[in-house]
Amino acid sequence: MEEKIKSPMGFLLILPALSVLGLLYVFPLVRAIWSSFYDRAGNFTFGNYIKVFDLYTRDIIYSVLMTSATVGVVLAIGIVISSYLRFKDWKFLDYMYRLPLFIPFLIVGHAMRIFLAPHGTLNSLLTRMFGVEELPGISGSWTGLLFSFVWVMTPFATLIILGAFKALDPAYVEAAQNLGASKLRIVFDILIPLSGPSIMVAMILTFVRTISSLTIPLMVGPNKPNMITIDMMFRVNYFNDWGVANSLGVISYLIVMGLAIYYLRYMVAERGGIKG
Amino acid sequence: MKRWVVVALIMTFLVSLAIAQEDFPIKVKLRMMVAGDQNMVDFFQYEIAPEFEKIYPNVRVEVVGTGPGPAGSRQIIQQLEIERDSGKDKWDIDIAIVHEIGAVWALQEGLIRQYTDFLSAKRLAVRSTDEIALGVNVDGYVMPMFHSQTAIAYNPRYVKDPPKSYAELVEWVKKHPGKFGYNGIKHGASGISFVNGWVYWQSKYTDKFLNGPYDKKYEEDWPQIFAELKEFNKYVTMTSGNAGTLDMLNRGEIWMGPVWVDMFYTWMREGRMDPNIRIFIPAPGMPGQPMHYVIPLKAKNPDYALKLIEFVSSPKIQAKYIVERFNWYPAIGDDYVAPFLKKEVLESLYKDVKQKDLLEYGKPFPLTGYYEDILEAYEKWVEK
Repeated sequence: MEEKIKSPMGFLLILPALSVLGLLYVFPLVRAIWSSFYDRAGNFTFGNYIKVFDLYTRDIIYSVLMTSATVGVVLAIGIVISSYLRFKDWKFLDYMYRLPLFIPFLIVGHAMRIFLAPHGTLNSLLTRMFGVEELPGISGSWTGLLFSFVWVMTPFATLIILGAFKALDPAYVEAAQNLGASKLRIVFDILIPLSGPSIMVAMILTFVRTISSLTIPLMVGPNKPNMITIDMMFRVNYFNDWGVANSLGVISYLIVMGLAIYYLRYMVAERGGIKG
Repeated sequence: MKRWVVVALIMTFLVSLAIAQEDFPIKVKLRMMVAGDQNMVDFFQYEIAPEFEKIYPNVRVEVVGTGPGPAGSRQIIQQLEIERDSGKDKWDIDIAIVHEIGAVWALQEGLIRQYTDFLSAKRLAVRSTDEIALGVNVDGYVMPMFHSQTAIAYNPRYVKDPPKSYAELVEWVKKHPGKFGYNGIKHGASGISFVNGWVYWQSKYTDKFLNGPYDKKYEEDWPQIFAELKEFNKYVTMTSGNAGTLDMLNRGEIWMGPVWVDMFYTWMREGRMDPNIRIFIPAPGMPGQPMHYVIPLKAKNPDYALKLIEFVSSPKIQAKYIVERFNWYPAIGDDYVAPFLKKEVLESLYKDVKQKDLLEYGKPFPLTGYYEDILEAYEKWVEK
């Protein structure tokens, strides 16, 4: 396994993949970073970033908090569903939790907007059932947005976590059961620690998907504060101002990159552990 | 080998037959890009294209929609920029329909050509929108497709005596907190329009915003104006978009809110809107805007583009489609359109907002500089 083939053949083989990556990812990335330092007249400036911090600091903080909250709730629900399905084979739940995967974001946004409105489907139902009039609607507020995000993001995370739970050698679980461990204890002491990397992947993917989502915050989210993506769209659409939009983009890159670096270091440590 | 020769001969014969079939006027593919909601794409694809192709059977009209809002126009301008940068002699797009801001961008980038000297319908345009867009002189480069207008919709079930001006609206809102709703500035242009109207009402320099020149010194009183708007917002429900406002009006969650008139009437015609809801334009006025036809600088078929614009701007088509079917205000003078309209159509379009209200209170959007400053001021002083 130690031999290293230094023929150009290997490089040729990965060239197509590499060029697609370079063309569609690295080039736009570099260009975005580049243009975030230029104003509309084409002069070098830090003005875009100053404007971002002047106008959008709160939106950036809000986006990070909103996304973290989503990730937290999604992981909690995902782990609960996965644990349940690890021990009990309930077909109905197994199918139902995947349902949101097949519904486009735009549809989710519109559905949630109607479902959660003050006189929307949910409240009308509650009013009929319990006779409570004039319930507050949560569409157009951060709670409604969190609800929608969680609804959309949970299946994907659950899919990953459940896969990891099921892939574990059942011997560990059976041994623990033989020694009298409760199911709760098995989840916390065996399943979760052993599935660490997969849960991490679920977390990062959820984070990235949430922070980059535009349609759902646009349709369900509050009017202010706004997610970073809405501000970017606003800048481009109404000001034709790619500089500030790209600065906001670069900031989202940095946020996600922080997470990615943490993940990579974790993975390296993990691999090292296995090898050593 | 022999069979191969026979097949080739037959093929040649068939192809020459097909070519002989071709009508003498060269076949033309007229490509248009349309910024705006789906209804605008439908308008061209299903109504105008078939009618136009009947008159010019050698023409096929291809319609591409780029989506609503300035984003739609933005995409068209980007496409034209790509064509320009590619250095081609003939560009693929023959006509584009853009917002005022799109027309200004296109003009400043040198992407469109002058054509209205050859357009007889231009003489029927009565508002000055074909000459000035956002304070920029666009005369010669654009012909409006229709005019749209924002107004305040209200539900007479709850609002017996609607306010008549922004000042009265502020009074009303304080008495009925949470019952007036609008969508801020990032979720659709009806909110932007309301905010612009607010500035028109409060500022002493409204004339400068509409006609120029652009100078920051005319914005001196804005901190105060926007502080009052922020105070006003405390009594207001924030909706989630143009459609969001209409939805909330429908469900009775809010009693009043700014809407696009054409959208409002279309929803009503489709049965998606409570038919009792009415509209008014508060003094001193709210903005509206036309959509503009532009012809790209190096369009492949500029002659047919011109013919299509002429066709769509003719009084008959304006009456039948623009007014009756799509509930827009016509691009040309009402006097020219009226003879082709049924009386009840004309009356229903001007039922709430009369023609004279439109002339008095239908304002254009401000100059681009002021427009951007107003949005940014809102971000800075109201949202933050």
